[in-house]
Amino acid sequence: MKRGSVSAIINLVEPWEALEPLTTNRPVGMLPFGGRYRLLDFPLSSVINAGIQNVMVTSPRSGRSVSDHLRSGRDWNLDTIRGGLFMYPYNDLKLVAPEKRATLIHHYYDNSILFLKRSHSEYSVIMSTRNVGNIDLKALLRYHEERDNPVTTVYKRVDPQVLAPQNTVLQLTDKGMATAVIQKAQAKVPKTATTVAKNMDIYLMSTVDLIEILQEANRRGDLIGLEELMKQAVIQHNANAFEYTGFQANIHDLSSYFAANMAILDEAKFRALFYSSRQIYTKVKNEVPTFFAEGSQFRASLCGTGGYIEGQVAHSVIFRNVLINRGSQIKDSVIMQGTRIGAGTKVENAIVDKNVVIGPNLILKGTPTEPLVIGKGQHIFRQTEVVASV
Amino acid sequence: MNEDMLGIILAGGQGTRLGKLTKGTAKPAVPFGGRYRIIDFTLSNCANSGVKTVGVITQYQPLELNAHIGNGSSWGLDGLNAGVTVLQPYSSTEGEKFFAGTAHAIYQNIEYIDQQNPKYLLVLSGDHIYKMDYDAMLDYHKAKKASLTVGVIPVTKQEAQRFGMMNTDETDRIIEFEEKPEHPKSDKASMGIYIFNWPTLRKYLVNSYATDKSMEDFGKNVIPAYLAHNESVYAYAFKGYWRDVGTIQSLWQANMEFLSPHNRLNIGDNSWRIYSKAQVLPPMFLTETSQVNNSMIVDSCYVAGEVDHSILSQRVSVGMGSRVVDSMVMPGATIGKNVVIDHALIGEEAIIGDDAVVKGTATDIAVVGYDEVVGVEKP
Repeated sequence: MKRGSVSAIINLVEPWEALEPLTTNRPVGMLPFGGRYRLLDFPLSSVINAGIQNVMVTSPRSGRSVSDHLRSGRDWNLDTIRGGLFMYPYNDLKLVAPEKRATLIHHYYDNSILFLKRSHSEYSVIMSTRNVGNIDLKALLRYHEERDNPVTTVYKRVDPQVLAPQNTVLQLTDKGMATAVIQKAQAKVPKTATTVAKNMDIYLMSTVDLIEILQEANRRGDLIGLEELMKQAVIQHNANAFEYTGFQANIHDLSSYFAANMAILDEAKFRALFYSSRQIYTKVKNEVPTFFAEGSQFRASLCGTGGYIEGQVAHSVIFRNVLINRGSQIKDSVIMQGTRIGAGTKVENAIVDKNVVIGPNLILKGTPTEPLVIGKGQHIFRQTEVVASV
Repeated sequence: MNEDMLGIILAGGQGTRLGKLTKGTAKPAVPFGGRYRIIDFTLSNCANSGVKTVGVITQYQPLELNAHIGNGSSWGLDGLNAGVTVLQPYSSTEGEKFFAGTAHAIYQNIEYIDQQNPKYLLVLSGDHIYKMDYDAMLDYHKAKKASLTVGVIPVTKQEAQRFGMMNTDETDRIIEFEEKPEHPKSDKASMGIYIFNWPTLRKYLVNSYATDKSMEDFGKNVIPAYLAHNESVYAYAFKGYWRDVGTIQSLWQANMEFLSPHNRLNIGDNSWRIYSKAQVLPPMFLTETSQVNNSMIVDSCYVAGEVDHSILSQRVSVGMGSRVVDSMVMPGATIGKNVVIDHALIGEEAIIGDDAVVKGTATDIAVVGYDEVVGVEKP
């Protein structure tokens, strides 16, 4: 692909309420995933692996965690002399005062338009972060170029049972064109259907067309966000629908986030996501090797570096720098970076956020559909504090 | 922090005593401790000490070392007014530029050093495992108004026979230097760490190479010359963990010590991090059948077998039914099923076929070389 021919917008403005407390202070895209990544790393890696060098990241709030993670973009090879990484925070209109909101009417999309104009790219791709995958965007571009419709969307065939009512699906024609993006609850899925076209929230079109869509939204005074505009574009133009066949996990609430982490403990899925020809990049850290002490047991699990494991871990995702003390038992859980688990403590079906300290001899237990969640930075030393911490 | 001191790392040693492991790679580039290479310790010490400009002098097999060091960004040595330069011999109009010894290597790179114009020259070797604040040593050097300060470490009488020994007076001024003495008079062994006042050293080197060309080696020639000319030469005592990893036995031993949670090196200390070239790799995956005890494992390892008191570097896989004991496995090595690895160093990208046995003893470590294939029938 010619340098600079495609630019990318990764949109971190996504529904986050169902993922609280994990998303209280971070956008969905900054959720830790898979032992050492953030959700944002997956679309960003897809973008990098396609040789795209003009990347804009829009975030709902201040974006502190986003800029802390991305910094200059060096870890993704985005600190180049041309193009590079552009950050665009404060896009969540719910957090904007009415008088400020008034000034945004007719200007809400200005930054995106400017970014796209300056990129001088022929095509643009828009991606969200709540669909974990490893997609070949070069193949998507080829698919788009071979067809006539101005927009190309992406879908993955999934079992309708796994979708939540608020998840969106593509309405496909017999010829494989998408005519609408609709919520599963509204979609007429036949009872006999074994698969449904899950929308991957990825859209490709010519940059000129995208600029036109954004300028039109500005003229109308729309403050509806990129996702809504893309859905409208699909309805308006009909769209090519590209089928993605790799690993995908949809993250829209706590149990789906939990399930996605558990899914990659399946060796075949783990390899499909991380060991394809397209690498997943993330911010690198100089962590020491993980130490597994005498008598520790660590089975069917992932682990980041910097850890110190003395207890028992089974079927869990353990992030960087985690301390698991002697006699503790971790099962079917997600333990994020910097967390310490006390001796003799049992953790099962739980999501423990970053830098949590859990005292000895406690029991933390959730269920696969309702995992127990411990918010970031909590210190828990009494059994009564376990539920109160959420 | 100081801008006056230029660091020079002598990373040229072929390291013949490491045998197979350094056939295609320079000793400082040999993997250590699961995710490091030997030179990371010296480079990180420079970065942490505020030595911002570092020249790395290479000679043998510089490819891997060059690839590892890159522009120095992994150690944060790529900022404004900072940088790592890999210096290699090149033929001059007068002919050969290969280095006859440590001091000769400095002399051959005099143009680079002059370009940096340092007040002090910090000379280091790239093949030791330790953490040391060179800035504190510089403070000592300045306080003593020294012309040369030599880092020393206490050794036993027996060990002294392998080192250059510094005999000092009560002010720590070095009054005598003995190379590998049979009957050592002190316990102060040279660590091969020197701080020179550059203009003085420059004068000695230039004079020597204009006349008798005697200044080949710091230990053999330069220190004796300094002492003979009554230069103020001081010993700076280092008290921390320090290991020379120049032999198979010592490399294995230092790796085993690294594995101990009680290792005085304290690798987990965040105030003095050891940096390395970072690779983006997936997390380690330990399967249902894995058994890991007293071991260190890093990114992208896959373990289905048993690992006991061993270190696995990046991208190592251990198949089901295999047992890795008291060993260090270098990056990318593949260990098949039902393999026994015991008291061994396994080289990078080596392949150990199913049912193979690689077994050494505590005094005779088994070594599998880089890219070596063991126990796999050729098709």
